Amino acid sequence: MAETRSELYQKFDLRHFLSGRANEIGLLAAILVLYAFLAVFASNFMTLPNQLNILRDAAFVGIIAWGMTLVLISGEIDISVGPHVAFAGVLLASLAQSGVPLPVAALVVVVLGALIGCFTGFLRAFFDVPSFIVTLALWLGLRGTAQVMSDAVPIVIMDFSFQRFGAGSLLGIPTPAIIMLVLFVAFSFVATRTVFGRSVYAVGGNAEAARLSAIPVARIRILVFAITGALAALTGILMASRLGSGNSGAASGLEFDIIAAVVVGGTSLFGGRGTMLGTLFGVIFIAALVNGLVLLGVDPFAQGIVRGVVILVAVMVNIISIKRMRGRM
Amino acid sequence: MTEPLVQMRGISKAYPGVVALRDVDFAIGRGEVRALLGKNGAGKSTLVKILAGVERPDEGSILMDGAPVSLRTPMDGIKAGIATVHQELSVVPELSIAENVFLGRWPKRGGGIDWRAMEREAHAALEVLGLDLDPRQPVARISVAQRQLVEIARALRQGARLLILDEPTSSLVAQEAETLIRVVRRLAEQGTSVIYISHRMDEIRRVAQSLTVMRDGRHIATTAVGDVTNRQIVEMLLGSTQAEGEVVRSAPAKRSPLLSIRGLEVAPRIQDASFEIRAGEVLGIAGVLGSGRTELLQAIAGLRTIDSGSMTLSGSDFRPASLRDARANGIFMTPEDRRGEGAVMMLGIDENLVMASWGSVSRGGVIDRAAMREKVTASIRALGIKLAHPSEPLGNLSGGNQQKVVIGKALNAAPRILLLDEPTRGVDIGAKRQIYQLMRKAAEEGLAVVFVSGEIEEFCEVCDRVLILRGGSITAEVEGEAIRTETLSELTTGEQGVH
Repeated sequence: MAETRSELYQKFDLRHFLSGRANEIGLLAAILVLYAFLAVFASNFMTLPNQLNILRDAAFVGIIAWGMTLVLISGEIDISVGPHVAFAGVLLASLAQSGVPLPVAALVVVVLGALIGCFTGFLRAFFDVPSFIVTLALWLGLRGTAQVMSDAVPIVIMDFSFQRFGAGSLLGIPTPAIIMLVLFVAFSFVATRTVFGRSVYAVGGNAEAARLSAIPVARIRILVFAITGALAALTGILMASRLGSGNSGAASGLEFDIIAAVVVGGTSLFGGRGTMLGTLFGVIFIAALVNGLVLLGVDPFAQGIVRGVVILVAVMVNIISIKRMRGRM
Repeated sequence: MTEPLVQMRGISKAYPGVVALRDVDFAIGRGEVRALLGKNGAGKSTLVKILAGVERPDEGSILMDGAPVSLRTPMDGIKAGIATVHQELSVVPELSIAENVFLGRWPKRGGGIDWRAMEREAHAALEVLGLDLDPRQPVARISVAQRQLVEIARALRQGARLLILDEPTSSLVAQEAETLIRVVRRLAEQGTSVIYISHRMDEIRRVAQSLTVMRDGRHIATTAVGDVTNRQIVEMLLGSTQAEGEVVRSAPAKRSPLLSIRGLEVAPRIQDASFEIRAGEVLGIAGVLGSGRTELLQAIAGLRTIDSGSMTLSGSDFRPASLRDARANGIFMTPEDRRGEGAVMMLGIDENLVMASWGSVSRGGVIDRAAMREKVTASIRALGIKLAHPSEPLGNLSGGNQQKVVIGKALNAAPRILLLDEPTRGVDIGAKRQIYQLMRKAAEEGLAVVFVSGEIEEFCEVCDRVLILRGGSITAEVEGEAIRTETLSELTTGEQGVH
């Protein structure tokens, strides 16, 4: 019996294998092309310090991007993460200033971050407020709170050993990059191997079918926002550590870099589809692109144009592939 | 005999890896209503797509009025007077009826649309179909059946001489289906030819003069409707080897009361329903659409608030407070709308199968892959699903196989009572038979299977007992050999059947 049992699965089907990973394979090819181009035309791009720099920059996008991937797969969106990072940094710094030990302050910031996420998820799940609207309100409110708390002046954190987290390295690898990669492994596992992860896909793919299958839809929705809120707070702590201060103007526009990375990575804005590996590639692609444009000496304004075009092309490829998939149904 | 309106000769069509049509001949006369039957994949949709100019044949020729025509694009089809009304309607809900009738060809006057002429002509076009509606109201406000008629009116305005109706009654209420059948008959009298694709035998007998059966891309038979029995048709559809056996009903002694319901009231449709669900039987609930059959199932499944009444589950009081509560007590319902509510089309077949029973294939929230694969493989075997790979998206499967997955998901949740709302809707005859077999097997294994269907003849094929739901309560109960289409039809509508 044992040999017949999983024979359905053992039958290796190359076409099935490739079609399931077409997105990741395409992205990997795009990254290779980008790297080849920059290696030739941008001096210093392929040096080790520069690659480590890319990794460090990637971390400030990547850590939140794991949570954002879950949010998008569940059919939602969270645009409040940029201001959330700034708010978390300012809160940490002002707690530290008033004498709270840094580890305790960090814990408070992360827990509060998760609670803010819960709030978004709660309004979405129980009052059907679109998550775009709730997080738009938070986008305004969190940045505003950070500015009020700090008078829009950076609050310096006096503990210099704290700077190791954001600016330091471990075995030569930037600490934030290590945190990002550890979390990547954890989130890949959550997304593919846990009941919660698969339920996120089910809710985003067809919330009504998920509900009728007794999947706790409301709880799933609240959790994805809570996770993303906690990750935004963590990124805020790392950013405060890197800057040595809590800055209400930090992480401006970060939310769009993150959403762009997730979407470039093949996650559907309509929910139900996406992978952590795709997001990792999306994060690396965008970090390398940004870094390369700087090294090439491209005018900062023109950089915006290039990034805009790249994101648009990626989203179009995504939509076209969804249509193809629907066509087969 | 007069010359046929359309003649297709020696049509063949192959797609990569599949031969859809093999040397098919097909002809239809003026004013003829022809039923076209076949399982999914039998080639009927390819055949009508070729007629509509959507697909081009590899071989063969098409003649209209005896002269060869070339139908290379959908526009060619429309110009030749061939129009298709699909299951999924192509009306614009926000626009008015008149605008929809004239969609894209609005009569102009000066620089703008000639509203008055358009509304007048639209009203006239609808009157031909026996529909009296204000052409100025938006299509969003009229029923699905009326929208269908609007689409037919549009086709006729474009000069259609051959109308292809693809399962036109699949989403209609019984009464609405009647109206449609009358319209089709009237059109035929006026000389329009109709190809009528449907799986419903009783309907075909009433609307069509002749029928064509296709199987495996071949033309199997074309005959006058009166010349064949339902059984012969099914044999032709399935190939003689697969023809049905008699219904094997379970012995009444093996059935034991499981859930008894007294004086159930569920606003607004169920007023005072009392009945019993027994383990080991397939129980049918028959009623016209709007009789509250879906609501009744939903109330038992914890999806609707019960206003009053009492329920006893295996001897103790029970009132499902929520879906989870019902689930915890072994009650599971599969919804009518497979695509919208039944399953997640983007996810793998395997995940859909275990979606309602994650607890049995996971530990501490982490999926046990080996256990999941074992369970999925067993399910796929038991359900007889044909697939390329267990983790391919569910949306790749045919409707019948998708439905089997939805039922499989329910069975994997190990229910005691399985409530199936229209499980055979929109699936072909072969898949229907397999779904009946699944229901019988579940009953044999001791489940109580409750089956709701809008097609009365289905009850005869699978049920041990049928309840008649009418006016909000159970008005009759039919058991065993007494379950016959005519009987049920009279009991549900209170009228003599048309049979």
